[in-house]
Amino acid sequence: MSVLDVRNLSVQYLTENGASEIVKDISFKVEKGEIAGLVGESGSGKSTAMLAVMGLLENRAQIRAERITISGEKPVPGQNAAMIFQDSLSCLNPSVKIGRQLRETVQARRKCSRKEAAARAEELLDLTGIRNPALRMRQYPFELSGGMRQRVVLAIALACEPELIIADEPTTALDALVQAQILLLFKRIVKETGTSMLLVSHDMGVTAAMCSRVYVMHSGRIVEHGTVEDIFYSPVEEYTRRLLEDARGGRLTVHRDGNTENAAGKTGNAYGNPPLLQMEHVTKIFDESEGVRDLSLEIRRGEILALVGESGSGKTTAARILTGMLREDSGILRYRGDELGQDRRMDAFGGSVQMVFQDPYASLNPCLTVREALKEALEASGQRVNGTKRCRSERQRSSSYSREKGRMAEKIDRMLRLTGLSPEDADRYPRDFSGGQRQRIGIARALIVEPEILVCDEALSSLDATTREQILELIFRIQRKIGFACLFISHDMHVVRRISDRIAVMYGGRIVETGETKKVCSDPWHPYTKQLIEAVPEPDPLRAVKIKAAPGKDGTEMVRYGCPFAGRCGYALECCGEEIPESYSFDGREVSCFLYSDRHSGRRSRDYRMTSQI
Amino acid sequence: MLRYTWKRLLTGILSLFVLVTVTFFLVRIIPGSPFQRGGVSEDVVETIEQEYGLNEPLMTQYISYLGNVVRGDLGISYQDPATQVSDIIARAWPITASIGITALAVSVILGTGLGILKAVSKRRWIRELISAGGMLAAGIPSFAAAILLLLVFSVKLKWLPASGLLSPVHYILPVTALAFYPSAMITRLVGNTLGGELQKDYVLFARAKGLGKGRIILTHALKNAYLPVLNCIGPASASLLTGSFVVESIFTIPGLGREFVGSITNRDYTLILGLTIFMGAVVIIVNLITDLLCAWLDPQTRRAYREERA
Repeated sequence: MSVLDVRNLSVQYLTENGASEIVKDISFKVEKGEIAGLVGESGSGKSTAMLAVMGLLENRAQIRAERITISGEKPVPGQNAAMIFQDSLSCLNPSVKIGRQLRETVQARRKCSRKEAAARAEELLDLTGIRNPALRMRQYPFELSGGMRQRVVLAIALACEPELIIADEPTTALDALVQAQILLLFKRIVKETGTSMLLVSHDMGVTAAMCSRVYVMHSGRIVEHGTVEDIFYSPVEEYTRRLLEDARGGRLTVHRDGNTENAAGKTGNAYGNPPLLQMEHVTKIFDESEGVRDLSLEIRRGEILALVGESGSGKTTAARILTGMLREDSGILRYRGDELGQDRRMDAFGGSVQMVFQDPYASLNPCLTVREALKEALEASGQRVNGTKRCRSERQRSSSYSREKGRMAEKIDRMLRLTGLSPEDADRYPRDFSGGQRQRIGIARALIVEPEILVCDEALSSLDATTREQILELIFRIQRKIGFACLFISHDMHVVRRISDRIAVMYGGRIVETGETKKVCSDPWHPYTKQLIEAVPEPDPLRAVKIKAAPGKDGTEMVRYGCPFAGRCGYALECCGEEIPESYSFDGREVSCFLYSDRHSGRRSRDYRMTSQI
Repeated sequence: MLRYTWKRLLTGILSLFVLVTVTFFLVRIIPGSPFQRGGVSEDVVETIEQEYGLNEPLMTQYISYLGNVVRGDLGISYQDPATQVSDIIARAWPITASIGITALAVSVILGTGLGILKAVSKRRWIRELISAGGMLAAGIPSFAAAILLLLVFSVKLKWLPASGLLSPVHYILPVTALAFYPSAMITRLVGNTLGGELQKDYVLFARAKGLGKGRIILTHALKNAYLPVLNCIGPASASLLTGSFVVESIFTIPGLGREFVGSITNRDYTLILGLTIFMGAVVIIVNLITDLLCAWLDPQTRRAYREERA
C-alpha cells in the first residue's frame, strides 16, 4: 500500500469574482521509502495542493477529494505527516530558542518528560549533521546559518516521527554548496529512517538528483507523471519539454552563442573591451569574519560580469565599495583609468553607477508613485551631472521648465515600456505591484539615468522561478540593447551561467578565479570553483546522482595565513596553509591557486597552454 | 546596554532638573501667597513669609531649594507645617499606586484576552463588537466614565459604595473608570499585532509540526506580538501610577492626584514642587524600565549585550 494516496483533489477559493480553482482534480501517490517529486513553475498550485493534503489550508479554501490518506489513515500534521518549507528563517520563531522549538515538537508527538525530550532533540540535531547540538539548542534562529537552520527544520520534522515528509522548495533559498549538503542529508535520512518524502520543487536539477518518480504540475493539473528517467529522457508533454529546455539553460545561451541576436546590438563580444572600473588590491575588514581582502577586479565596458560566491564571501562588500557606499581601508579604485579618491567618488560617478537591490519590497519608498521615484532618481543624478547648469538665471530656468518637464515625462514613459511596464503604471504606488513588477520598477529607476554601470545585488534571489526567468531575460535584453556594463552579483550558478560574459568567483573575501563564463563553467580551474559548479545538480538523473557536497562545514572562515580555501580543499599543498597564492593569469583567465604557480608545475615555455590542474 | 542605561538615567536627571526649574518659577507666577486667607491680615502674612524666607530674592530661594532637593529634603508643607512633603507623598502614594496597579492589571488581562479573541475569532460579529466597544471605551474621557459609573452603580442601583477606599469593594468603581482607556488600547494593539503574527510562516510551521492552536498563540505568537504592546504599556502605567486628579476627586480618594489639586489651590509651593519631582521621577523610571525590558525581550539585543560584556 502506498504511504500517501491522494485521489481527485481539487481546491478552490471563493473570491468576490466567484470561485477560482487553484488545484484541479489531481491524484498522486508516494510509496514507502521513496522520494517522489512534484515539479512545476510557481503559481502552478503545488504549495496549495500540499497544504490541502496536510489539512493546513485556511478556511476560505474549499477542498474536495475522493481520498487523502497516509497508510490508510487521515493525515495528521505532526503525527503521521510533517512539512518543511522554503524559508527556514521565517519558519522558526525568532524569539524562541532552537531547543524549545524542537522539544515541544517531541512532546507534542508523545508523552515524555522534558529531559527525555531534550535528549531526543539533541539526538535529532546530531542526526541531521549539526555539530555541537547542545550549544545549538541554546541558540536563537538568527544565530544560525541558512544551511544549519534548514537542518534544524528537518530535525523538527523528524521529531514528529512521520511516515511522510512533504518538503516544499526546501533548498531554494540556499546557495549551491549548502543545497548539495542538504540534499544529500535528505537522501541519507530517508534511507536511514525509512520515511517517505514528497519533494516539491521548481528546480529540475534538484528533482533529477533526488527523486525516483516525478509528477509534473501545470496550472493546477498534473500533466505528466512517470519515473524520473521517463520524465527527463522521454517527456511526452510539451510543457515538460519546455521545463527541461529552460532548465538546461537553453534560451539565453542560444542567443548569445549564435550571435544572431547580438549582431544587431551595440556590443558584440564584450571580451577585450577596455576596463571601465577597476579595483586594485582593495581591502576592507569589518571584524574577523567579514569583508574583502586584497581584492582586484575590473569591469569592462559593455560586459556582464558575474560575481559569485557563498553568503559571507564578501560579494556585497565589494559592490558597496565599488559604488562608493562604503569606504575601503586600503587599495585603489580607478574609473576610466583615473584614480578615484574616497571623497570624490560619488561626485565623479554622478549617475553613472546605479544599483538594483535584492528586496523589491524594501527598496522602493511606499509613499512615492512610480513617476515620483523615477523623477527623483533623474533629478538626483541630473544635479550632479549638470552641475554647471544650475547656475542659469531664474528666467531661463522657468522658460525651459515646462519643456524639461515634458522631456522627463517622455523619458519615464519610455523607460517603463522598456522594462515591460505600461506608462499608466507611472501614477500608481509600489503596493499596487507584485514582487516581479516592483523589481522592474527598480530596474527602471536605475536605468533612467543612463548609467554606465549597473550593479545588481542578488536582484533575482527574492523572486520566484518564473518571475526570476522573466527578470533575467529583461536585464539581459536591455543590457544587450543599451550596452551598459553590469556587475551581476548572485549565488545562483544557474542564473550566472546564462547571463554573464565573465565570471569572478569569490571565496573568503578574495577572488579565487576569473575568466570567461563559458570556459570557467565548463572547465573550472580553482578547486573551489570546481566544487561550486559540481554542487549544482544538473537536470539529468544519471549525471545528477553524482551530486557532490563539500565536506560539511558551517560557513566561511577567514584565514589569516595561507589560502582561505585551504581548509576545505582536497588538493591543498603544504604551502597553501602558509602563504596566500597570488593571482596567476593565463590567456584571459586568472586563478589564485598554487597548483598554477611556477613552483608547482615548474617554469614553462612561452607557448605553454595552461590546462586545469585538478 | 549598561552604557545606554547610564545615559538614560543621566538624561532623566537632567529632565527632572528642567522640570523643577520650570515648575519653581511657574508656581511663583500664580498670584497671591500661600498664607493668604480670608481673616489673616497683610502684616501677619508678611511675617510668616519672612519666616519661610519667601521675601528673599527669587534666585536665592531657587538655589537654596535645589540644594535641599539634592540633599533629599523636599521641605515642609506650607499648609500643614507639622508634616514633611515626603510624609505626604509616603501617605498618599500607596493609595494611588494600589488603585493604579489594580487598574493596570485589569487592563492588561482584559486587553490581552479581548485582543486574542479579536485576532482569532472566526465569528465576524465578535470581532466587530470588540472593535466597536474598544473605540467607545477609548473615546469616553475618564471623568465622564467616572461620573457615569457613580450615577448608575452607586446612586441609582446602590450596589457599590460611592466614596472612600475602605474595602476591596470600594476599589471596583475607580479601578473600572481608570482601566477604560488602557484596556481599550491594549485590546486594539494585541488584536492587530497578534493578527499579523498569526499570518507568519512560523505559525504555519508550528501547525505542521502538530501543535494545538492554543499552544501556538500562547507560547509562540503572543511572545512576538507583545513587544509593541509593552512599549505602550510603559507610558500608560506611568500615568496610572501618578494618579488621576479627576477620578480621585470624584470618588474622594486621598491619593496623590487629590493632594496635587489641593496643593495648587492652596499655592502650597513646596508640596507642588515635591509632587512634581516625585511624579516626574516615576514617569522617567517607568519608561526606562519599559525600554530596558523591551530590549531585553528581543533576543538579538540581548545577545549583543551579552557579547559586549564578555
